[in-house]
Formats: sequence, structure tokens, C-alpha cells
Amino acid sequence: MMKVTTKDNLTAWLDKLARGYTLIAPKAIEEQIFYKPVARSSEIVFDFAKADLPVKEYFLPSTHVILSIERQEEGIRVEEPSLEGERVIFALRPCDARALRVLDALFLEEEPADPYYAERRERTTLIGLACREMGEECFCTSLGLAPDDASDVDLMLTEIEEEYAVQVVTEKGKAILGDLVLEKVEGTPPRPTLREEKMPILEAEAWPQHFDHVYWARLADRCLSCRLCTYVCPTCRCFDVRDYETPNRDIERLRAWDSCLAESYRRIAGGYNPRPTKVQRLRNRFYCKFCYYPKDFGPIACVGCGRCIAKCPVNVDIVEVLEGMAVL
Amino acid sequence: MIDKIQAKAKELLERGQVSCFIGYEEGTRRKVRPAFIYEPQDVDRLIWDERCTYNLAVYLHQFKSPLKRGEEPPRVGILVKPCDSRSLNVLFHEEQIERKRVYIVGLTCEGVKVNGQLQERCQRCSERVPLVYDLLVGEEPNEVGQENYADVARLEGMSPGERLAFWVREFERCIRCYACRQACPACYCFECVAEQLDPLWMGIAIDLPQKQFFHVMRAYHLAGRCSGCNACEEACPTGIPLSLLNRKIAKEVEALFGYRTGQDAETPPPLATFKKEEELPL
Amino acid sequence: MTDFEPRIIGFLCRWCSYPGADLAGTSRIVYPPSLRTILVPCSGRVDPLFVLKAFQDGADGVMVLGCHPGDCHYLEGNYHAQRRYALMHRLLEYVGIEGERLLIEWVSAAEGGRFAEMVREFTAQVSELGPWGGRRVDR
Repeated sequence: MMKVTTKDNLTAWLDKLARGYTLIAPKAIEEQIFYKPVARSSEIVFDFAKADLPVKEYFLPSTHVILSIERQEEGIRVEEPSLEGERVIFALRPCDARALRVLDALFLEEEPADPYYAERRERTTLIGLACREMGEECFCTSLGLAPDDASDVDLMLTEIEEEYAVQVVTEKGKAILGDLVLEKVEGTPPRPTLREEKMPILEAEAWPQHFDHVYWARLADRCLSCRLCTYVCPTCRCFDVRDYETPNRDIERLRAWDSCLAESYRRIAGGYNPRPTKVQRLRNRFYCKFCYYPKDFGPIACVGCGRCIAKCPVNVDIVEVLEGMAVL
Repeated sequence: MIDKIQAKAKELLERGQVSCFIGYEEGTRRKVRPAFIYEPQDVDRLIWDERCTYNLAVYLHQFKSPLKRGEEPPRVGILVKPCDSRSLNVLFHEEQIERKRVYIVGLTCEGVKVNGQLQERCQRCSERVPLVYDLLVGEEPNEVGQENYADVARLEGMSPGERLAFWVREFERCIRCYACRQACPACYCFECVAEQLDPLWMGIAIDLPQKQFFHVMRAYHLAGRCSGCNACEEACPTGIPLSLLNRKIAKEVEALFGYRTGQDAETPPPLATFKKEEELPL
Repeated sequence: MTDFEPRIIGFLCRWCSYPGADLAGTSRIVYPPSLRTILVPCSGRVDPLFVLKAFQDGADGVMVLGCHPGDCHYLEGNYHAQRRYALMHRLLEYVGIEGERLLIEWVSAAEGGRFAEMVREFTAQVSELGPWGGRRVDR
């Protein structure tokens, strides 16, 4: 048994949601797809493979003010801006949804919890959309995920020709169903086409032995040490916090994305830098994902979305690295 | 052509004339990537075809220091297309690397393709032979393009409000990943002004004003130094048309000062020099 | 736009344009108070980054004033400035900052009246253009 709804009913429901919530959905901008707030369902792209950037922006914003101090006539006014309103993210892919769980292990489950991440996580309902097939660069199945895995969303949608199967996963999902017209039909949602071959992922304990291998130096030769991979990655999460004076002489404390691949990332007061070379920084990225994060927080910090593979200008391919590590 | 390239690379490595040969190799998923050949037996990895869009000159910056203290900096071999060779001239002129430490295998070029389509910049390219090389490989093609800056002119034809709206729409997608800067052979400052904290130019915010500032400033710093290799635009993950900015500057530099980047390693770029009697209409 | 007071940043060189401005002041010549001056040793010191930062942080117009060509105290600074700003002008125009918001001019230490006239004209020009639309977003 499954519940299905028509495209028209779905769009009508989304239009209604957009009025009560901030609806974030895939939108076409130039020739790419991004998750952006939309005012109506006609702005949404329903037929897409994977968005070019993940939804990380909505939980760990690329830049936001966490504290502002305003000069006043008498004294100062201190404000901690908080998120306004409730949000719904529509058509989230299972890999991007799993990435939020990976981030939860650090931002929510470690004491103290990050209040900015926590409020965003709490005030957002996730509507997943199962993938029809695995993309060229996708390898979610090698990490124990599936392209139609519903465990990390509140509602899961699966395309069945012109209609959508709707699966309620959590109470939160049930709460926003409202008057979406659902019809009970026989059968189960179709499964996506999976790729047979799974890549071997070296377990966390086995990584340290390869730390000094020349493999990393050879890989880093072509790395440009930009930040592209960390910024398009749904699980990379490093940030910097700085205080700035605004032109009208108020003070803002900004939190913004930072990247371990930046040369200055690990530089400390006094000028010492424990990772001055490209090799060290590139190697660190892989170790962080597959060795340090699992050891410290539990999950592997990679969901197999493949964006880093698609976007890296010099073809540093995480799948190739994992396959390489397995045979060293 | 590839046989000649591989043979030369092998010879250079066997004779110890270079410590590394930088070329192109087959990557994963039918992509081409930069290759670093250290041993003569590995030269078979080198390829050359129309997918080799990348400008390898950027990698010369990592061979500037000696590999071991007390030694000379290493000598390298490099493969360049005509556009890339102009980047080399810029680096030689700016004394970033000594000419004698680079063995240049120059390739004649009929254009490179992305997804099977000839790149737009190749369609209007008027240089099919590298401007500096130690060994020239390939036959000079008969067909040569003509530069007309049509894409720049289209943007110039818009009203100021339209232009502002255009650039705001483009820069909004920027995530300040610096892929453009890192891919550029002419961007080699130890500390970019975008990351300087004292003096503070931009700060860490990934907001529109900072992103606008970064791109305009970077384009300006490349005035007279950008060779039009397009590495920046290709590296950008969100598809921002950076070449439109750099080409505008190239067009103005040509119009104002009659200068084209990288024709040789001796002529100083226009912003590093001046003429006493000069009318520069505003 | 009559009550719009533009914010104009002026980079004045130590040897010519700044004394020129001083002369305007001591001669009691009236000119609009919209100009905030920044003293630099030479117009050649004015890094294009200064101009961009001025626009980002709230300026509606920027003036770069140096010695007349041939009269630079450091001999060549103003020639470099001339080249830089000819190019900068076109670049700013291209990215949506009207070219009329950037002025590069030569003012000698004896030209107090001319300085004041220049500021008056430029202020009127910028007032007419209005505040720059692409400024820093207030979060």
C-alpha cells in the first residue's frame, strides 16, 4: 500500500506551504540548480538530478551575524539575531539529508550544542525526493546509504510517472501534510536503479598507517589549494568567527565558512603553521572525513554525493583516492 | 604530436635536464588532468588532445624553491598551448621563474573543446603558435580567428542599471572559494588582499559587496597580465562568466595603451610604466 | 534628490592638491561640505583598492586629485595615477558604478578657487546620480 498524489495537487499544496513557511526548493539559475527560497511552486524545478550546492547554507550559513552591538544615545544595545519563521525544504536528496545527520553528530550531540545550528534544524521540515538513478559521480551506496533512503527526512516523495508517492516518516512531516490530497493505491514506490559495484571504504583505524605515503604528495601536485571542494561539500563544516566594525561604527560578530585547504587555516598567533604545505592540507581533508571525524563523532563525514568530484578543476577524485587507499 | 612530446619528456628526464615534466594525462571519468612526470618510464601517461584546456603555467609557482636546502631550485619541463605561453612570458618578465630553468614544449593549437564543443575563446583566437618555446611541436594551422570582443561589447551596450543588475546576479552565486584565483598563473601573492586582516579590505563575509569587491579587484590586478587562458572561468563551480570581466580590461588595455599581454618577456606591462605626453580620454 | 547629501571621498596629494584645498579654505571660498579628504603623499599612492573600498563602505563619489603632469613632487607618481584611473574608470563603468562617480584631476597648490569649483561641480554631478545602488547590504 502506498499513498500517491498528483502533480497538480502537489503544486497546490506547495503554493499553500509557501505562504505559511519559507519554502526552499530547487530553482534554476543560469544553467545550474540551487536550493533557494521560492514564492510559488511555478519557480520550482521538479526534474533535476542533483543541486549544484547542498542545503548546508540553511543550517550553517555561509555568513551570518551572531551578535550585534549598536551604539545608542546612552550606552549600547546588544542583540543576538535569531532565525525568523519556520522553513520547509522541498525535494531534498537522501545524500544531502544524511549530511545533516552527519553534521548533527558534531553540532547537536556534542556538548555544548551549537545554538545557531540547533534552531535552524528544529525550525526546518525536510521533504525528501528519492533519486531515480545514481549519478555519474555518486557513490552513496558505498557508504551505506541508498538513493531512496527515507531515514533522514520528515516526508519522502518518490516519482511514479506523473504522480508522487508520499511517505510520512516523522511527526514533523505529518504536521505539515495539511490538506494534501492523497489516494491509497496498491503497490510500493519503485526503487531507483543502483550501481552494482561498491567501493571499498577503509575503516578509520586503518588510515594512520598510510599517513606518510608518497601517494599524498603525488595527489597534491595538481591540487590548487582553493576551497572549492570544502564549500560544495554537504558535510564540510569549518567556520571562522570575527568581529567587525560597520561603517556606522556598530560592531558585528560574523560567522563565515572557512576551509582547511586555505593556507592560513591552521596558522596560529605568533605565525606558526602546522600545515604549511598543500600536501599536508589535502591529506588532512581526507583524513578528517574518513579517520578523525568517525573516531571523534561517529559517522564518516562523507555521503557520496560526488559534488567535489564533479566540480574540482583538476580532477582530485575522492573515489579514486578511496580506491587507492584500499590497495596501498 | 604526442609521440614527439613523450620522446622529448623522456629525453629531458633521462638526461637529468629537468626534475619534473608537467603535461596532461588521462584522469577519471573521461576528464583530462595535469600530469607531473618524475620518472622517464612514466612518460606514457602524457596525452595531448582537444580536451586539454587547462593552463599548466600555474604549476611553475610550486617549483620556485629548492627541493632541498642548499640546492638550486629544480628545473622543469612544461607543455604549453599558445595562450598558455603568454602566461609564461608574464611570469618571466615578473621574475617569478628564470627562463633557463624551464624547458618549454610549445604546441600549435587548433582550439580546445569542452563537452565536445570548441571553446568560444578558441573560435576567435588569432594565435595558433606559442610565443615562447624551446621545442615546437605541430604544424601551424591555416585557419586563424579574429578577436572582436563581441561579448564585451554586448555588455557595454547595456544601460548602467542593466549592467549592475547583470553583475549582481552573477556575483550572488559566488561562494568565495577562490578557485578562480588559485587556477590563475598570474595570481601568486603570498597573501591575497582578500585574506588580509591588517589592513582589512574585505573581511570573511561571503556577502555580495565583498564578492563584488573581490572580483573587480582581482580583474584590476590582472590588467595587462591576464593572458585570457580562461582557467578562472572553467574552475568556477557556479559558472560565473569571469572572462567577461578580464576581457573588458584586456580590451581597454589594448585600446588605451596598445598592449597585448605576454607577447614577449621584455616589454613592461602598461601599468608598470608611463609616457609623459599622453592623452587618456576618460 | 534635493535633500540627498552625497558622501564624497577625496584623495588629495600632500604637495599640490591638499595645499590647494587649504588655500580655498584660507581664502574663505565656500564649497559643499560633502567632501571628506584623505591626505596621501602622492596621487600615485592611491591604490585602486582604496577607490573600491570607498564605494563599498558608503561613498557615492571618489575624487583623486594630484599635481599637474610634469609637476609631481616624486616626479612620476601622477603619470602612474593617470594610467590607473583611466583604466579604473572604464572598469567601474562596466560593473555598474557610473564613471561619473570617479574623478581624477590635477590641481596645483595655487588653485584654491579651481579646487572649490571642482568640488562644487562634482558634488552636483554625484547628487544628480543619486546614492550608489550596489552598496553594502544591511543585514
